[in-house]
Formats: sequence, structure tokens, C-alpha cells
Amino acid sequence: MDIDDILREVDPTFHSIPKEKQDLQELTRAWIAERSAPELLPWPPNGLFERINDNIKSQIEKVEEMTGDMDPRTNFALIVIQTELERYKYLVRSYLRARIAKIDKHTLHYLSTDNLRSRLSEMELAYATRHQALLHNHYLSSFLSSFPPQLQNLNDAAGINMVETPDLDAAVFIRLLKDVFVEGRGVDSDVTMDGRESDIVILRWSDAKPLVEAGQAELV
Amino acid sequence: MPMYGDLGNKLALHAKRTQNLAHLPPYQAELVRAVTREVRDLDKEVTTLLEPFQGSFDPAADHATACTLLVNHLSMRRNKRCLLAYHRTRTDKLEEHVWNGVDVLDLVAQQQAGGGNGAAISGEGGASSSLSPQEEDYVRQYGDLLAAYKGQWTDIDLTGSLEPPRDLFIDVRVLKDAGEIQTEYGYVAAVHGSSRICCAGH
Amino acid sequence: MALSLPPGLTHAEVSFLAEMETVTIVPRQRLDSIDLLSGKTPSLRPPHRVDLSLWLALLLKKQRRANIVPPPWLHPASLSEIVQRETKENPTAFSEPPPVPSRPNIHQPGIAARQNNNETVQLSPPFQASCTADAPAGYLPYHWMEVAEMLLTFAGDDMISLGSAGEIRGLLRDLTEVRAAKMRDSTKTLGADGENVGGVVSLRGVGAMELAENRGFILGVVDGMRRIGASVEATRREQEEEMGGPGGGGGGGGRGDDGDDDSDEDMGI
Repeated sequence: MDIDDILREVDPTFHSIPKEKQDLQELTRAWIAERSAPELLPWPPNGLFERINDNIKSQIEKVEEMTGDMDPRTNFALIVIQTELERYKYLVRSYLRARIAKIDKHTLHYLSTDNLRSRLSEMELAYATRHQALLHNHYLSSFLSSFPPQLQNLNDAAGINMVETPDLDAAVFIRLLKDVFVEGRGVDSDVTMDGRESDIVILRWSDAKPLVEAGQAELV
Repeated sequence: MPMYGDLGNKLALHAKRTQNLAHLPPYQAELVRAVTREVRDLDKEVTTLLEPFQGSFDPAADHATACTLLVNHLSMRRNKRCLLAYHRTRTDKLEEHVWNGVDVLDLVAQQQAGGGNGAAISGEGGASSSLSPQEEDYVRQYGDLLAAYKGQWTDIDLTGSLEPPRDLFIDVRVLKDAGEIQTEYGYVAAVHGSSRICCAGH
Repeated sequence: MALSLPPGLTHAEVSFLAEMETVTIVPRQRLDSIDLLSGKTPSLRPPHRVDLSLWLALLLKKQRRANIVPPPWLHPASLSEIVQRETKENPTAFSEPPPVPSRPNIHQPGIAARQNNNETVQLSPPFQASCTADAPAGYLPYHWMEVAEMLLTFAGDDMISLGSAGEIRGLLRDLTEVRAAKMRDSTKTLGADGENVGGVVSLRGVGAMELAENRGFILGVVDGMRRIGASVEATRREQEEEMGGPGGGGGGGGRGDDGDDDSDEDMGI
């Protein structure tokens, strides 16, 4: 029994947010953020997706058990469970694919430094590394191997940089989760706004990022 | 006299056009070879130009040679970019097919079997495949890679629909509109985004 | 490609999100608690009201197992009040979003604290329960447009107690129009009329669907102004640096805009 359970018993007005609801909030927030940010965001370090995936797995097992049981009363429950299951599966799927799309678009960029690599999950890192190797191989066998050796590199340091990067100054919408000062760079002037919780603000992602990382704002 | 870079531009145009096509047009093997050859020729020219200087070329002392070297250098890079862009545009398309569950290699096989008279799935390719042999390899390998990644997330069906699930009640309404009779407890509902059909209350 | 949607949620995705709002229902049939991924549902015992997710409420409604209690803000009186406020009292800004729920803090009796303390995840829409029977009137929740639409379409008979559906829809339409005009005007602050282009614009009170509707346009304007003004901005920053001027600015982060106009620039490698 943890402290929340004890508090709940002695004081019925205490209701901390149940873990399942917290997870759903975090899953939803991560999904919206990944669908909105111009660059790949860090894979949640707290095992959120691994936990949700496990829960989905056991829920599917439960559905399979229940399907055998044709009692009409448990049947409605089955529909409810399946409807919710589809919703969760969709969230995770859309989230993972938004990430893979970003990784595919700028693979060399996300593999270029340890710091950037650390944003990928282990599986994503394996995928990205292999994908890049396949592409390089494909270029080599299609034309690159007939090039002079000094031109066979994919990431030419001299001259034009061939590694494309996401536009970190692209504009985004965020919601403030705290009362906080918001600093934004503009063309003619840089502005500091005395922001209030629930404000919805347009600014450059590079200016929004510190707020989002500190949990003071979320992408919308 | 054809300018260096003309062929590269042609490839870039092909790439641009491919981006907006649903199908994959035939691989421009001849053009790719020509652009690659141009890069090698340019490189040889650079080597020949630099030979007399034996590693001590001073651009300030010989503007004309410096200029030629620069132009050659930029042309090689430009050609390389065009080749990369052309191939990347095509692999993007091929990957898209793999994600959508289209069996590209099967299409190719059908196309070849069908001969010039066939359904011409991939356009004017006629009896020859619209993919290069390297692209066929690539499709196979990327398919394996995706399958491996998908396998880590079997429960969520990674290649499933990206449309949010419309809830069961909406499917029920659609069925009703289509003349299905909704009984007191039971109805037939298709769970959107999955192949599961759920029969309730019968 | 793994995903070919543009950045930001689509209309369908926003509706999906709105279905996670919490509403209040009055059960018409008993139903035991169901063990869902998002937690156990409350057991349904007519006529005791319970709060649950909109998607579930609509599923129950469709099966005639429950009626949905209209959220107070959807009442015609509440809607007219908001229309009044948006047109007369504050013709330039959106009206205030619902207040963030608070609860008594047992660690400091008598002092109300925000519902979410540091240890737990902070809730935001659609998880803030701004569409339940207890939600305050006079405030439009973030998902007002989608929730109103779904309730009127799928639980219209439950909303009748508020007034006629026509009256409610009329007020919602007025609201949509007034606010759409404000949305258009917001591009002026974004510098579309050639005025000073600053770095932050607030749209406090805007709704999710309104954002989805205008996202592409607004972000297009902001990004476009940035590109056009890139050299002006660079010059200004240099001058400010020379004068040791205002530090401000988030520094780093952004890469310089490469004005490369090669047609193959965006094709990737």
C-alpha cells in the first residue's frame, strides 16, 4: 500500500490522479507533440510506451478469453473494451509512425551525434542504422561505386553539406501549463511575454523547446 | 555544345515528376550511367589540369585554371546531388509501397509475365521492369527491415490505418442506414482499422 | 513513407481527441464496472449520475443504456452570455478558457491548491473535466465545437432540456463566426499587414478545432514572414550585438536559413 492509498482512506477528498489516467494523459501529450514538432522529440525515458504496450497485450488476451464466453451481459463490456483498445492502438501506431517518418526524412542527422541518437528508442536506433546502411548500399551499387573515391562519401564535409536538418525555427502552437515568461524571437523585435497558465501561444519551435522540455508548456 | 550539368538537371526533373506520380516510372538506367560517366570525366579533367603543377597549384597565379577547376568541382557535386535525389525519391516511393502492403516485386513479376500487352501497371515500362535490379534488392531488404521493426509492436498493427478509429456506434449507425436491423441487444459491428468483426449478443 | 500527414493534428484527429473529454451521464440500466486500459469504469446504478469519457457515454447513449447530462456551458443562457462577451465586451480577444480546477490541499488545510501537484502528471484538455455537469457555465472548453457537435448529433434528445436544438445551433453558429473573424485578425499581429513582427502571439481561449482549421494558414504566414525577413533580422541581431544590446533571445537552436533556391533542394538524399 503506498502513501496515496493511505491518504485516500483517511481523507476521502484526497484523490490523486490514477496511474492509468496519468499514462493516458502522457501518451496523448506525447502523440500530439510528435505530430506537431518539426523535429524528433526524445523517446519517453520512463518506460511509458513499454508499459502501455504490455497493457495492450494483456487487454487483447482478455478479449480473446471473453470472446469464448457468449453471455450477452459480458458482451457489451467486450464491445467497450474493444472500442477502447482500438483507440489505444491507434494512438501508439500514429505516434510511432510520426517518429519513423521524421527519422526516415533526416536519418543521417539523427545518427550524427550521441545527443541526437539518444532521442531514439533502442529499436528505432536499430531501424535507422540499418535503413541508412541499406540506402548507402543502394547508392553504392547503383552509381556511387563508379565515382572517384573522394566523392563516395555521403556526408561531404567540404562544400555543400548534404545532411539535411529539420527547420528548428518553424512556428508552433503551445499551451502554457504554468505561469511563466515566454521569450520569443521575431523579425523586427524579440518579445518577452508574461504568460499565464492556459495561454495558447504561437512562436518558433526553437524558443518553445526549453519551455516544453521543462514541462512548463505542451505542444497543441 | 551540351553543358556539363544538363544531364543532372534531367535527372532532377525526373525525380521531381516522380514525386507527384502514384506509380513508379521506369528506372532511367541510361541517364544514370551518363551522369556518372560525366562525373568521372570531370574528375579526370581535374587530375589532368593539376598534373603539371605537381601539388603546388596557386589559384591566385592562374585564374583561368582556377576557374575551370572550380566549375568542374561544383559540377561534380551537383551531379552527385542529382543522382542522390533521383534515387532517394524512388526509394521513398518504394518504401511507401512497402508500408502500404503493396507487393512491389509481385507487381513487377506480373508486369513481366504480361508482356507488352499486359495491364501496364507501372506505366510505359512495357515488358521490362520499371525497377532496376538494385531497386528490387532494396525493396526486399527494406521489407525485411520493416517486418523486423513491426514485429516488436505486433499488438498495435503498425501498418494499420492512420485514420482515427470511428467508434463502434458510428459503424452501427452506418449499418442501420444501410438497412440493417438493430436488435435490442445485438448488432453486427466492424471494428474500424482492424480485420476483426465482432458479433454481439446473438 | 511511414506518415504523410502535415505537422499538427487533422480535423479527424482533433475529434478523436475531443471524444476523451469527460461528461456526466444518468444510467438507465445497471452495468458493472469494466476494467479498461484507462482505469475501471464506475459501475452504473440508475439513477445515480457518474462521469466518464465522451466516447463511452456516446456508446451507452446509442444503446439506450444512459442519457447524457448537458454541460452547463452549452445552455443557451451561457452561450448567449459568451456571444455577448465576444462581440460587445471584448471584440478583439477570445473569451477566457475554463478556470483550472482546484481542490483542497490536505497538507495545508484551508488552502486550495491546484489539482495537480508536482508528483503527478499535469492534466490538460481533454482530461480536465470541463464538460461534466459540474463544469462552470460561461466558459468555452478547448474542445467546445467538437463536443457540442457530437452531443447535438448523437444525444440531441438529451440536450432538449436546454432549449430547442435550433436555438443552440444558432448560438453556436454566431460564436463560430465571431471567433473566425478574430482568428483572421490575429494574422495582423503576425505582421501580415507589414507592421512590426514580434516573436510571440497569444491566442488565449482559442478552441482545438479552430486551431486545426487555421493552423496551416497561420503557421504559413509566420514562417513566410520569417523567411522574407531573415536578412533584416540577421542585421538587427548584429547591430544589437555590437551595441551590447538586449540579450534576450533564446540564442542557438536555429540554423541560418539557407536561401538556396536549387530546385532539388527539398528532395533529400
